[in-house]
Amino acid sequence: MSEVLLLGRRAVREVIRYPEATIPTLFIPLFFLAVNIGQVQKTFPSTTPFLHGQGYVAFQLPVSLMFAVATATTGLALVTEIDSGYFDKLLVAPIRRTSLILGRLAADLVRGVAACTVVLLVGILVFGAHVHAGFAGATVVILLAASFGVAYAGFGILVALKTRNVQATNTSFLLFFPLLFLSPNFVPFDRLSPLMETLARINPVSYVIVGIRALIIDGWVIDKILVAIAVILAMGVVLLGLSLRAIATYDR
Amino acid sequence: MLSFVPDSAVKTQALSRTFEGGIDAVRSVDLDIAKGEVFGFLGPNGAGKSTTIRMLCTLLPPSSGSAMVAGYDVVDDDDEVRKRIGVALQEIGLDPVQTGRELLELQCGLYGIRGGAGRERAEELLELVGLTEAADRRTKTYSGGMKRRLDLASALVHEPEVLFLDEPTTGLDPASRLTVWQEVREINANGTTIFLTTQYLEEADELCRRLAIIDGGEIVAEGTPEKLKSDIGDDVVSVELSGADAERTKAVIGDLAGLDRIVAEPEALHLYVEDGASSIAEIVRRLDSAKIEVGAISVARPSLDDVFLEATGRRLEGAGDETEDEAAEQDQAAAKAVAP
Repeated sequence: MSEVLLLGRRAVREVIRYPEATIPTLFIPLFFLAVNIGQVQKTFPSTTPFLHGQGYVAFQLPVSLMFAVATATTGLALVTEIDSGYFDKLLVAPIRRTSLILGRLAADLVRGVAACTVVLLVGILVFGAHVHAGFAGATVVILLAASFGVAYAGFGILVALKTRNVQATNTSFLLFFPLLFLSPNFVPFDRLSPLMETLARINPVSYVIVGIRALIIDGWVIDKILVAIAVILAMGVVLLGLSLRAIATYDR
Repeated sequence: MLSFVPDSAVKTQALSRTFEGGIDAVRSVDLDIAKGEVFGFLGPNGAGKSTTIRMLCTLLPPSSGSAMVAGYDVVDDDDEVRKRIGVALQEIGLDPVQTGRELLELQCGLYGIRGGAGRERAEELLELVGLTEAADRRTKTYSGGMKRRLDLASALVHEPEVLFLDEPTTGLDPASRLTVWQEVREINANGTTIFLTTQYLEEADELCRRLAIIDGGEIVAEGTPEKLKSDIGDDVVSVELSGADAERTKAVIGDLAGLDRIVAEPEALHLYVEDGASSIAEIVRRLDSAKIEVGAISVARPSLDDVFLEATGRRLEGAGDETEDEAAEQDQAAAKAVAP
């Protein structure tokens, strides 16, 4: 465990010392939040039934939170480490190989919490969103989004370990666009065309958005929150399981 | 399976590695390195040095054969091996984001030396490699020599039984090279067995008690530098051909008294003889009467380069200079390739 903390501390240090790698990942969610609200808020005024009296920002915030945490940063950091040879040095140390992944994910959790806090605060303070589930609900929102980011990072790590290629790892981020846009990101499920609705309903990310959105707009809607947690756990088990296996068999 | 040999720091049996595409990077290498030795692996780029080191360090599984390091099998007991070895690979593995001190303290932590003990050990090592003043700068600001020394220090945090150094001085200026040599000697004086690879004859001669010459993945000669040199003869007389016909020249001087053998190069003949000084007079006399004009004739003690030439038919120094980077890349790439 302590080696995970040591490696996690180093990865956090990396985040802090390379703000140029983190700041753009914050710019994108905030940019989309501003642009989407600006374009759609007249179409969906606060009297719109699915907004429950809130501005459209409440509906868009979960999408921006997803944007803030679903980055290729961890995969990129890992593939850079492989490239530089430092990864070999870590592999030669008498530690469990899985610690190398878990340490990075620990840092992802820290970064995710920080990024989500910033996005949520901008949503509340600048765009006037209100978290219906209160302060505890806002904390759960941040934790859910950050955990999703940790699970999703497993994908970047997997690509990094399998390809050992910076470009491939970088472009793996593009996969997130279909995952984010084939979802009820602008309107609820029932407002989507039949085809879109079908695609959105098989997209796991939809349920994470719906769960977080419930906390912001409706309050403690337990079933939706539990489904979001289940989806995040399932994604985590699959992606992290594959990553842990990839590092265990790396060059073996 | 190998039996436990307490006096061996490294012992391999028919150690081999084949990469995808059927490239035999290392072929049936047998090594037996005693505890406390400085053992050198001398060979050109792409000879299989890095691949061998990666197998001994548990980074790459052998395709066949076996290896014991510090008394443990590199495949079956890789965890035990890792606790007992220090590694500085050819590609300097440093994290640019951390300072030298942070890097060493993390390294200490990974080897179980934590808290105050870790800080103390890091300080000690910074002093050993002369980086105390640069300790709190990020490693990306370090020069090549400083990076090598920090990398070396990070391989030493846990006082390893066996230290692997893959081309520790490649790319260093002469002064930094001497510093690294001095450090290698000091580390060895404290009882650490050192396995180093090099493509520099001088380095092998200077540092290694025993060495093996590797070429094309195979060991082609092995022994102490002195023995390897004395094995090929007492003196080497080199005759520069300068346009003279090699075969005719050979015919005229081929039955010289005390001549062991002749090794021909395109521009020169090298005669391995018992007594160089007296042979020169005879050679000059014979060439003169046969009216063969040659360039300079010189006599020297055999060098490791002559040993390499004798074993492989090529010179090591200057060999493949044009393709050096390419070959180095190939060796690195081969060493890093995914296991088939």
